[in-house]
Amino acid sequence: MRSASARLVLIAAAIAAAGPLRAGGNMDFGGDSGSMNDGPSYFGFVRDASGSVVGDAKVTASVKSGGAVVTRTNSMGVYKIPGFAKDIDPNTVTISCAKDGYKQTDALRRPPSDPKDPIETECTLQKD
Amino acid sequence: MTRTLGAVLSVALAFAGIAAQAARAQTLTGSVTSAEEGAMEGVLVSAQRDGSPITVTVVSDAQGRFRFPDGRLPGGQYSLRIRAVGYDLAGPRTATLGAAGADVALRLVKAADLAAQLTNTEWFISMPGAAEDKRPLIECMSCHTLERIVRSTYSADAFVPVLTRMAQYANNTIMARVQRRVAPGRVDEDAVRKLAASLAAVNLSHGPAWTYELQTLPRPRGRATRAVITEYDLPRQTIAPHDVRTDRDGRVWYSNFVENVLGELDPETGANRDYPVPLAKPGFPTGALDLETDTDGNLWLAMMFQSGLVRFDTASKSFQRYPVDAALDDDAMQQSLVMPRASNVDGKVWTNDVARQSIMRLDLSTGHYERIDPFRFLPKGRPHAPYGMAADAQNNLYFMDFGDQNIGRVDAKTGASTIFPTPTEKSRPRRCMLDAQGRLWFAEFAANKLGLFDTRTESFKEWDAPTPYTYPYDVFADRNGELWSAGMASDRVLRLDPRTGAAVEYLLPRPTNVRRVFVDNSTDPVTFWAGNNHGAEIIKLEPLD
Repeated sequence: MRSASARLVLIAAAIAAAGPLRAGGNMDFGGDSGSMNDGPSYFGFVRDASGSVVGDAKVTASVKSGGAVVTRTNSMGVYKIPGFAKDIDPNTVTISCAKDGYKQTDALRRPPSDPKDPIETECTLQKD
Repeated sequence: MTRTLGAVLSVALAFAGIAAQAARAQTLTGSVTSAEEGAMEGVLVSAQRDGSPITVTVVSDAQGRFRFPDGRLPGGQYSLRIRAVGYDLAGPRTATLGAAGADVALRLVKAADLAAQLTNTEWFISMPGAAEDKRPLIECMSCHTLERIVRSTYSADAFVPVLTRMAQYANNTIMARVQRRVAPGRVDEDAVRKLAASLAAVNLSHGPAWTYELQTLPRPRGRATRAVITEYDLPRQTIAPHDVRTDRDGRVWYSNFVENVLGELDPETGANRDYPVPLAKPGFPTGALDLETDTDGNLWLAMMFQSGLVRFDTASKSFQRYPVDAALDDDAMQQSLVMPRASNVDGKVWTNDVARQSIMRLDLSTGHYERIDPFRFLPKGRPHAPYGMAADAQNNLYFMDFGDQNIGRVDAKTGASTIFPTPTEKSRPRRCMLDAQGRLWFAEFAANKLGLFDTRTESFKEWDAPTPYTYPYDVFADRNGELWSAGMASDRVLRLDPRTGAAVEYLLPRPTNVRRVFVDNSTDPVTFWAGNNHGAEIIKLEPLD
């Protein structure tokens, strides 16, 4: 009985260990994003004028050369965006926030101490 | 005068009465029982008239009774089959339907081979481990059932050459016809060894029986028993219907994933008609994936490894080929999707370049394609794959990033792309439809969810599929706002009301590998259509409510 359950664990582990079959194909993908070849990721809060966090706010990270990634804050008012290709200069990435009934009044960026560190922003919304 | 009219009326009424009686009488009814359960609800009963390509299926109710719709079955000799997991039909296996109709008492006995009855979903449920652990196996269903894996006796070592060989097969491969890629697929040997070990852990390489218990899903109950399903057998096993749709005249069109043929089905007679697509690249895998319409009602096919797009003029029944520019084409070129819906706006048709994880756009005035990399500003090395496509009224493109976890938008004027990660990670969104309210409905294949991306607010909503491991391939929002979905795993059609979350799952009569789903909104209630990609049949499901 014990060996049977141990075997089930082994089977599960074996299945879990299997990764993508064809390199470069869309068979599957593993691991989290973010490698040495990527630019820094972005994260931060969206707050209202009183400093309270704003959940479900739209956050857009726009690239100067064209293109954007759009996400939303969670209930804690936090967003994160995994980052862009290494050849995208973080200084050309603009973070903005929006929500129905609000307008953006500010978007601050804390300069990271290391260029590889995630870039923290704080975006402020004011009720219309 | 009054008397004459009265006489005529009574004669007419008498005739109507006889006609109604005949129509009512000439149907097949019956009961389903077993020694184990007595009267059985949720047993699918299928009847196929000798020599006909059409099989009609109804489902037994809570009293174990079934009734085919009045007048649906012409008189004749029928073969009968059932689907009820855990049971076989002891008899009778035939019925004669005459003017008086027929009533049969079906007797079910315990299944001789339960494993032969499991859906892919039931195999996934039965296998040990969490959903995340079983993720690598979901690709297997593209070409064959999981039963094929679990019944094999390969050791991990013996699996390695098998998997290496299969990695060289084209996506449009079915058991009835294996197609080999011309451009060799690069194989990650380490990944192959790991997958081989995982498959050898769940098959019969260790002994004559599985080391885990076979688990089955419950039979349909209540509302899920109230549907009529029609299967249309196609004349060759190598016909692999991928996308199915009906046109304004009620004709049924389908793309053939394996043969270089556009198919048309007459839903009244079940007659099949082939329209051979001119071969563009001899020696390359044949067949098309996506089938879409433009505003003129013409049909477009994405020609997979034959590369490029094809337009079928439904009036002249002729094809216009749009080959990929020679400078862009190569042995790996593969167009799986096409989106011509708003090509009348700017003369452009969207498609994809699978090998380069890119979008392509055809300019109808020049016949040239341009390549647009919608991920060019994102980190390299992610397995992006532009897949399901929709176009808005300005011909801006919305696409599913099937390899990863994003919805993408490409601006028709600037070519700039915006990437919207889905709330659920590793969701692998697959096919989609954009409704008139700007709502993009999509199937999250790997997340087992249906999704909504509101293009106006750029916000998401998600609904869990009620049964785990069903891996929805596509979704269609009908005129009532209800969602219809299906896939390669569960042999079930999901109907979900996104306003209430209420869901019903209709079991299909046979092992069914569904890709694109389509709803004909012109009937009341609506009619669901799909192809059985591995079973050479078209399926129609008519809900009774």
